[in-house]
Amino acid sequence: MALDLVVEHYVLLSGLIFLIGAVGFVTRRNVLVQLMSIELMLNSVNLALVAFNRQHGGAMNGQMFAFFVIAVAAAEVAVGLAIVLQFYRLRATVNSDEADGLRH
Amino acid sequence: MLETYLPLFLLFVVALVIGGAMFTLGHFVGRKPLGPEQAMPYECGNDTRGGRDVKLTVKFYLTAILFVVFDIEVVFIYPWATLFKSLGWVGFATMSAFIVALGVALVYVWRKGALEWES
Amino acid sequence: MDTSLMSSPGVMMLFGLSPILALGLGGLLLMLAEAFGRPVVAHALEAQAIGAQPAGPEGQIVDAGAGRAAELALGAAVILFAGAIFSVALWLVGPENVTATERVAPYLLIDRFSVFFSFVVCLGGGIAALLAGGYLPEHRIERGEFFPLLVFCTLGAQALAAAGDLLSLFVALETMSLGVYCLVGLRRTSVRASEAALKYFLLGSFAAALMLFGAALLYGATGRTDLAGIGEAIAGLSGDGLEGRAAQILIALALLIVGLAFKVGAVPFHMWTPDAYEGAPTPTTGFMAVAVKTAAVAVLLRVLLVVFADERLGSWGTGWPPVLATIAVLSMFIANFIAGRQESVKRMLAYSSIAHAGYVFIGVVATSRSVDAQASVLFYLLTYTVSTLGAFGALILAGRYRAEAVSYEDLAGFGRRHPAAALAFSFFLISLAGVPPTAGFFGKLYVFKAAIQGELYWLVVLGLINSVIGAYYYLKVLVFMYMREPKPGAPFATPMRSGYVATALVIAACFVLGLGILPDTALEAAVAAVLGG
Repeated sequence: MALDLVVEHYVLLSGLIFLIGAVGFVTRRNVLVQLMSIELMLNSVNLALVAFNRQHGGAMNGQMFAFFVIAVAAAEVAVGLAIVLQFYRLRATVNSDEADGLRH
Repeated sequence: MLETYLPLFLLFVVALVIGGAMFTLGHFVGRKPLGPEQAMPYECGNDTRGGRDVKLTVKFYLTAILFVVFDIEVVFIYPWATLFKSLGWVGFATMSAFIVALGVALVYVWRKGALEWES
Repeated sequence: MDTSLMSSPGVMMLFGLSPILALGLGGLLLMLAEAFGRPVVAHALEAQAIGAQPAGPEGQIVDAGAGRAAELALGAAVILFAGAIFSVALWLVGPENVTATERVAPYLLIDRFSVFFSFVVCLGGGIAALLAGGYLPEHRIERGEFFPLLVFCTLGAQALAAAGDLLSLFVALETMSLGVYCLVGLRRTSVRASEAALKYFLLGSFAAALMLFGAALLYGATGRTDLAGIGEAIAGLSGDGLEGRAAQILIALALLIVGLAFKVGAVPFHMWTPDAYEGAPTPTTGFMAVAVKTAAVAVLLRVLLVVFADERLGSWGTGWPPVLATIAVLSMFIANFIAGRQESVKRMLAYSSIAHAGYVFIGVVATSRSVDAQASVLFYLLTYTVSTLGAFGALILAGRYRAEAVSYEDLAGFGRRHPAAALAFSFFLISLAGVPPTAGFFGKLYVFKAAIQGELYWLVVLGLINSVIGAYYYLKVLVFMYMREPKPGAPFATPMRSGYVATALVIAACFVLGLGILPDTALEAAVAAVLGG
């Protein structure tokens, strides 16, 4: 029972982090902050998975799941940053002179 | 019991000796005048010049992103390596397929010129 | 000799996974083919000859795939149609006879359900590849990455329909989505495209994170990650065990439905759809409208009917049916009303795809009460795939470089100037409106029949009302094409010439007409493909 309580604490913390991420995503307008909020949400899920894995033990499904989430999150950031960069680059070319646009 | 911890103890000793030696040598051999430059915050290499919001070339991001993506794949190799024997040939074949796929991705990135710093 | 070969587990394994392997290996080869080719662009070759940096008209570095869209499109189409053919072969042998594939269960379930969806998404992907083979060169989008990405997205869609575990479900979903984000932002010099990609990416990853948290809660409540195991564990809960976990399971259900409804593009999770569909290159729009939506509905069906099949969750009072019914009604009404007010035909088709998600959801709701409902959803998705891709293909055919046909005005007088292209367009729109003898008619008919069987009369009435509203804006295109003349000085659509687009339209038209005249074979297949059937 004592163990259960500990797991619940972790899950509560994970839920809090997830909420912080979700609120951050909804309220902030800076794209990079929104991207970070999504990362926060994904990492809170990792925490929950590992905590639940402690509770259930067995086949280590939760830990394995967390590994995959980490890898997918990295790929997601790669794609996301590329899209964000492209967006900023285009907006910059709209607003500034030609020399700036040809820099990269 | 003690024999099991002997290598660990030796490791501590070696680490202490090396770390201590570097610290003492630096204290005696190194020069110590504290100039105004060294007193500056984040003193390292050249003087800081210009504003903070300086534009970096996009290649930094590209390289960093590629590094993260390839680096994180190690996450799958570690668990496989710890269970290498019990997973047997099936595990080996699976991991080989994974590595081949990663290799194809690396060749792709290379051919596309994403790894070229000068251009 | 032959029989011993076929009975070897290794060979059977390869055969069972052949649709997925075809796309995976084919995609890798296509990647290499793209990277190792030389760009075939005149100014790039000149630049290389004088030793300068090869640069395009906007000062961009020329991609290795530049100017080679035709060959790459052919390669992608061959791979994707090969995936479809392997699916058919596997279907004829019977996935239940290929027991060797149980080794990849529950991560990939090779059953008739997943093979059916494998065929539908491969068909959709193949047609989209052909469309892109014509569209990308015409509009000077010199990005060879499109085709390997398209193959990998389709692979993700295939795997999503086959996923029998939360882990593979998440990985497949992200494989599909990450590729599509890139496909949307492919036109790198267009501000609209990059805004569309950004919006889609942010909201898409947000939805994926919500879903993932739901998945983690399910794992926490049951200790299992395979869908069947979770379903059993939930069904086994009672008394104290249920008390403590009911809230957790309900939150998980809500989060999973929100995430998947987002991927389907149903109201109120549709905010990204019109912008992403409009900003993306048209072949991508077509692909998103069919393959992404189809795979998301497939996994939604599997999640609802395997994980949340428990009668407490599947009942009308306490479970998911009323939620999905609300989503269905909202999707149909809101999308249809906004679609009717659009100036842009592409945006109209985007809203129309939201409305179609509503019709599909009627069928999904009916699965709780009617045995035929699941088959009707599968059949509807097949008819919707071919009709929608045909409509987008015809829209592509109606425009040229720097004169893409977008608005109704662009299409004025199109029927008189270019009868063949206009005829094809009309045909696909009639199918989307649900008029016989086209595929779309039978798609709607079976969904509504299943809903009547489930005694959901009010949903059927609302669906019929919406079909009539929908017919208005589809017919508006026909009116402009055949009965209006372009205003003097207005830019009117000149159709492009492309064998690829024409081939894609012929394939789509064959399916639309074939399913409209002889729906029985496909319907029998859909009936055989249902989960738990």
